Amino acid sequence: MDYFLNLINTIGIHTLLGLSAYVLLLTGQLSLAQAGFFAVGAYTAAILTVIFGWNILPAIGLGMLSTGSLAFLVGFPALRVRGLMLVVATLAFGEFVRMFFYNFEWRVIQEGVEVGPEGTMGFSEIRYFAEHGWTNWEVTSLIWVFVVIVMALIWWADQTRSGAVLRAVGEDELAAGTVGIDVMVTKVAAMTVGGVIAGLAGGLYAHQITMLDHHAFTVLLATFAIAYPILGGVSSVFGTLVAVIFIQGLLVEGLRFLGDWRMLLFGALIVVVMNVKPRGLFDSQMLRWIKNALRLRFSRGLS
Amino acid sequence: MDDFWFEFVEITQSIGDGFLFGSTYALIGIGFTLIFGAMGKLNIAYAATAMAGAYSSLAIFIFFDASLIIIFIVSAASAAILGYLVYLSCFRFIPVHNHLAAMMASVGGLFFIDEVIVHTTRGSPLSFPSMFAEAYFEVGPYGIRGDLLFVFVIGLISTGALLYVLFRTRLGLATRAVAQQDVAARLCGMSIHSTNSTTFAVAGLLGGIAGAMTAAAVGILSPVMMLPLTIKGLIVTVIGGLGSIPGAIIAGLFVGSFENVVMYVRGIDERDMYVVALLFVFLIFRPNGLFGKTITRD
Repeated sequence: MDYFLNLINTIGIHTLLGLSAYVLLLTGQLSLAQAGFFAVGAYTAAILTVIFGWNILPAIGLGMLSTGSLAFLVGFPALRVRGLMLVVATLAFGEFVRMFFYNFEWRVIQEGVEVGPEGTMGFSEIRYFAEHGWTNWEVTSLIWVFVVIVMALIWWADQTRSGAVLRAVGEDELAAGTVGIDVMVTKVAAMTVGGVIAGLAGGLYAHQITMLDHHAFTVLLATFAIAYPILGGVSSVFGTLVAVIFIQGLLVEGLRFLGDWRMLLFGALIVVVMNVKPRGLFDSQMLRWIKNALRLRFSRGLS
Repeated sequence: MDDFWFEFVEITQSIGDGFLFGSTYALIGIGFTLIFGAMGKLNIAYAATAMAGAYSSLAIFIFFDASLIIIFIVSAASAAILGYLVYLSCFRFIPVHNHLAAMMASVGGLFFIDEVIVHTTRGSPLSFPSMFAEAYFEVGPYGIRGDLLFVFVIGLISTGALLYVLFRTRLGLATRAVAQQDVAARLCGMSIHSTNSTTFAVAGLLGGIAGAMTAAAVGILSPVMMLPLTIKGLIVTVIGGLGSIPGAIIAGLFVGSFENVVMYVRGIDERDMYVVALLFVFLIFRPNGLFGKTITRD
């Protein structure tokens, strides 16, 4: 049961990570920086609960605020460049954050024990859930409540003008500019929102996994973050969720057959999917097919 | 006064050593920029193919005790073949306008190559034959390392050969034509796919040489070098300007010196952070890089 719950938790956190990249992908930008914001959110929330003894919700909240501000600041230089250069910039930023935490030390004596992030050794003993008597089910529920809230918010925003503005910028910046959309503001806003969501994911992750290590925040995680919405397509938030379940399930199953070689499978999978369906697995074509299939099934039932 | 002089010598020595080592970054940067210039896409797997070339040459060295020249030739050739395979799997069949999908596919290629290397070598670093390591020239208070000088000379020769191919042969003419305007090139009867695959192979050759150079200068080959090399290569390409070969050369030499000075002043742990910070400085003040063509369309 614990193993199963762990998997559910990972899927939840990765869905949030994927959603943070999804918002940016709507505006047509591929950001490999989400793992960096994830790391900042994780360390901030963990430092607040461990060193300052905060309650978890305000800690995660402040974590989200800090990653949002960071994303806002990073957005300006990063978004001066387009497309591929943005990938390089965000990739570099992600690595910068990882190297920062590789060097970051803040040790504090608490009740006779030293706690806090310790550079290369990482940040262990993030025991908030254990110390406050949270059961595993409660942790999973907390994570998934947030996932549902974020998905609902994004879905709702997509039905309003905000969604149209984001997608307009994503489709054609020049055209969007001519109808009066401030492209720069939209892109920075998207980056900030993406940063906030990633910070939320990071805060939850830190407490769920109880120890942070810079190895967790590499380009691989950033690639996962962007692979989910690319695989899932930008037509719907549910695509990202399905993609997370698919990839995590695949990796878990792959572990059984291929053991350590499953990363090979992941790399090959990306290559194959990109060649076969460059617009993502759940592009508008696929969604239409699903809708038609469901309609046929229901109409047969009625008649 | 003596202290200042000592520091001055040490720092200029770092700059000089970094400058010579920077030729490896310059070659990687040229490779990235060639592919970007020809196709408008980034091949994130490029540095990985370069290192894979170095690994295959190391294998040849271990099993057959090959000589220096053979090592470089094998590295270049295998990286060229790998480059062609990456083109086939990640770029050939993806629609031309879809840059992101091709790039994502090349990220997949990077993981694939990385995993293969990690598993073949069980993740442990291997020592690479260092050439001319014993040679050491003294010029006043400075010392010039023979192996770094060798690496620099190879870089010069490779760049010279590349420029010759690019500007004095028909293949180079075709590559430049496709880079400038592929529709017109096709109208003139050039095959885009064969020109692009040749560009990938040529970039692969360069990458293989760069991979062997890096391994020779550092003395070891380890899979953990792959990602920093990719990132630094990309940083060099962006700083030099996407699509500009002189930009990549100058940026590569500059980044090499810069990172070495930073390493002397702040230690190796923080060195790469400053290189990334340098990228962001350029992005703020000169987003098109030193010589980049102004990017007007995504």
